[in-house]
Amino acid sequence: MKNVRIWFKKDNECRYISHLDLNRIMLRALHKSRIPIWFTEGYNIHPYATFPLPLSLGFRGEKECMDIRLIEDYDFSRIKTDLNDCLPDGIIIYDVTEPVMKAKEIAFASFTIRITSEDVMPNTLYDICSELLNKDEIPVEKKTKKKGIREIDIKQYLDKFKLERNIGGAVLNVTLPAGSVTNINPTLIQKAIERYYGIEVHFDVTKTDMYDKNLKSFE
Amino acid sequence: MYSKEVEKILLKVQKPGRYVGGELNSVIKDKKDVDVRFAFCFPDTYEIGMSHLGMKILYSLFNEKPYIWCERVFAPWIDMEEIMREKNIPLYALESGEAITDFDFIAFTLQYELSYTNVLNMLKLANIPIKSKDRQSLGQIVVAGGPCACNPEPLAEFIDIFFIGEGEEVDLEVLELYRKFKAENKTKADFLEAAAQIKGVYVPSLYDVEYNDDGTLKSFTPKGSAPAKVEKRLMSNMDESYYPENFVVPNIEVVHDRAVSEIFRGCIRGCRFCQAGFLYRPVREKSVDKINQECKTLCDNTGYDEVSLSSLSSSDYTKIIPLLEKMSTWSIEDKVSISLPSLRVDGFSDDILNKLKSVRKSGLTFAPEAGTQRLRDVINKNVFEDELLETCSKAFNGGYTKVKLYFMIGLPTETLEDVEGIAALAQKVVDAYYACENKPKGKSVTVTISTASFVPKPFTPFQWYGQNPRNTLMEKQYHLKEHITTKKVNYNYHDAGTSFLEAVFARGDRKLSVILEKACEKNFHFDGWNDCFDIDEWIKLFEECDIDPCFYANRERELDELLPWDFLDYGVSKEFLIKEREKAYNNTVTPHCRLKCSNCGAAKYKTGVCYEKRQNLV
Repeated sequence: MKNVRIWFKKDNECRYISHLDLNRIMLRALHKSRIPIWFTEGYNIHPYATFPLPLSLGFRGEKECMDIRLIEDYDFSRIKTDLNDCLPDGIIIYDVTEPVMKAKEIAFASFTIRITSEDVMPNTLYDICSELLNKDEIPVEKKTKKKGIREIDIKQYLDKFKLERNIGGAVLNVTLPAGSVTNINPTLIQKAIERYYGIEVHFDVTKTDMYDKNLKSFE
Repeated sequence: MYSKEVEKILLKVQKPGRYVGGELNSVIKDKKDVDVRFAFCFPDTYEIGMSHLGMKILYSLFNEKPYIWCERVFAPWIDMEEIMREKNIPLYALESGEAITDFDFIAFTLQYELSYTNVLNMLKLANIPIKSKDRQSLGQIVVAGGPCACNPEPLAEFIDIFFIGEGEEVDLEVLELYRKFKAENKTKADFLEAAAQIKGVYVPSLYDVEYNDDGTLKSFTPKGSAPAKVEKRLMSNMDESYYPENFVVPNIEVVHDRAVSEIFRGCIRGCRFCQAGFLYRPVREKSVDKINQECKTLCDNTGYDEVSLSSLSSSDYTKIIPLLEKMSTWSIEDKVSISLPSLRVDGFSDDILNKLKSVRKSGLTFAPEAGTQRLRDVINKNVFEDELLETCSKAFNGGYTKVKLYFMIGLPTETLEDVEGIAALAQKVVDAYYACENKPKGKSVTVTISTASFVPKPFTPFQWYGQNPRNTLMEKQYHLKEHITTKKVNYNYHDAGTSFLEAVFARGDRKLSVILEKACEKNFHFDGWNDCFDIDEWIKLFEECDIDPCFYANRERELDELLPWDFLDYGVSKEFLIKEREKAYNNTVTPHCRLKCSNCGAAKYKTGVCYEKRQNLV
């Protein structure tokens, strides 16, 4: 049995597929492609596939991955082409590798966020974002499954960001804690802008990469 | 596909995957290459519409024609609708992302009377005038088909063309005609008149209606060359009928998310309450080879690991065991499970069960429909108590612990004794569980009974019947509840208000278009959903329009009354329906089509079960 990491991009219409639905789409594509994958044993037998770091609904993903197991040898490049034939256009497999790191090593994820607003001019929007991100503390409400709504300061996680102007407003490149221990969703920044400046903003978020705790790119 | 404007609102609504398209196997064409843009509108949510087989068949059929681009449109859920109105985003089609306002055809499938408000609301959201007479040019042709088209009259002022019967052929004939007339720059009036000559086409604007003083129909007269009788269309050979090799595979989970093959059309049983059982006569089967091939191809092309053998009563397929055997030659290896919906109590054999090993043992559903044998004879549901108990015991011994039983209340001739019979039958099923030697150890049994309120429908022997008033139905529900004495029996019942409104529109006439127009003005929508349906608002609306809904729902019709749907010919004669009605009131059953022909009239189509060799005659 061989562990395989399948790398894909998720964009366009497929941005709006939830993680649960993505899981179903992938299983259906694997079934259709007839790639010899391992099925879980037990009461409810199903093909085995896990996602090291699921993507939030609405985000574009440039470097997403899914782990499966092969029960017999199968050419990696064939996996790529076979699976692409079975997927909607918005999901594109671009590489198939053997996993190097373990899923639980993921500690950070980087995002590119295009920020626009119909309420203020692009220049003002950039200034607002800049002011907010440079505050000493940015308390926002975060919903958690266990503790309900609680207030956290996201400034403590915002040490790696770059804000630039663009025609529509601003582009923010930011790296945030991600994974099973601490997970900061970039839309918390959106909530902070809306809370402190009373304007509605649109966040177009692309997840660009994942890293381990030493900021080494996830492989 | 979706526009920039839509993109900005998608993350503000629940399940944005409903509104974006981009699914595997969806059909994208270049609009410059097509002559006819066709919006196939399903007047309910994406999840419901994407589960509908008829839409899948017609979508593929149309898109195989290079000159047609058929796109899908669903009713946006209330949160999306609100934002679309606020931002002035017109209703759009999922393939192109373009507003359907200027499409050549806007087509609706009418599956349920309570979706009529969604039909009008979708036109309004698309900025299309809702009334036929306000759409003057040759374009924006609003058409409708499906089971509810068997009484098209409540929608007569809104729909340009109704398709009567099965759509595979007639729809294309109308589209061809349109293409020709459009190229020749003809008018809409010319087109409608010519279309009315096609068999299976009803153009309501070509008929005049007069009423008697008591509100009943006086006359129904065709204008010009329109036919006095509109005959349904049907596919005479199911093996030669078009069936898609591919389904659009939804990206989000929908209600029926699996491959489907239709094993036959129609139903031999003739249950007297069941409209589908009369509309789709005669029964026409597909061959084992054809079904097997369809299932295999669909699973290969979609990746689905489940295939459903669809029909009105699956165990009545004459070659069900050979079919399941044939399918198992590939389904087991491909890890595809087979499901058989609509199993009858008497069709639940060990043989079938063994072939369907992959069925999950979660629960079983049967529909005895009535609580006593007398009432089951009235409705011609030939299911017997001992059969039901035997089948349940078989299932319990096989490991099942949950059974759902469906019933109707408010059936003709029903007494309180019949209602109590429902509770008694449920109790007997519970007792049967405890009498089983091989029942699952240490587990309790759950019997869930659901009652729907009976809605009399056109083209059934009960089409003249006055529905029980709402309070009577509610009293019967309460009566049943009081007669359930064990916690092992759960009781669910439907709101009598929705059944009342369904009864109004099912047998309504053109006068009801005022109501629908007003309902549309007031933004009524999703009346089939508890989230939106409010019977009090509807009653208010009827009062405002000075129309008595009880005239339609609760009034017992005279047998000689001219009924609004009498001009349609579904192959089943009125004489037959009257005879069936008499038999019902005499507690007399009618044998099913394979036992004895009852001369319903459908033999005139010269196909199907009417021409099968009957075993007892060999």
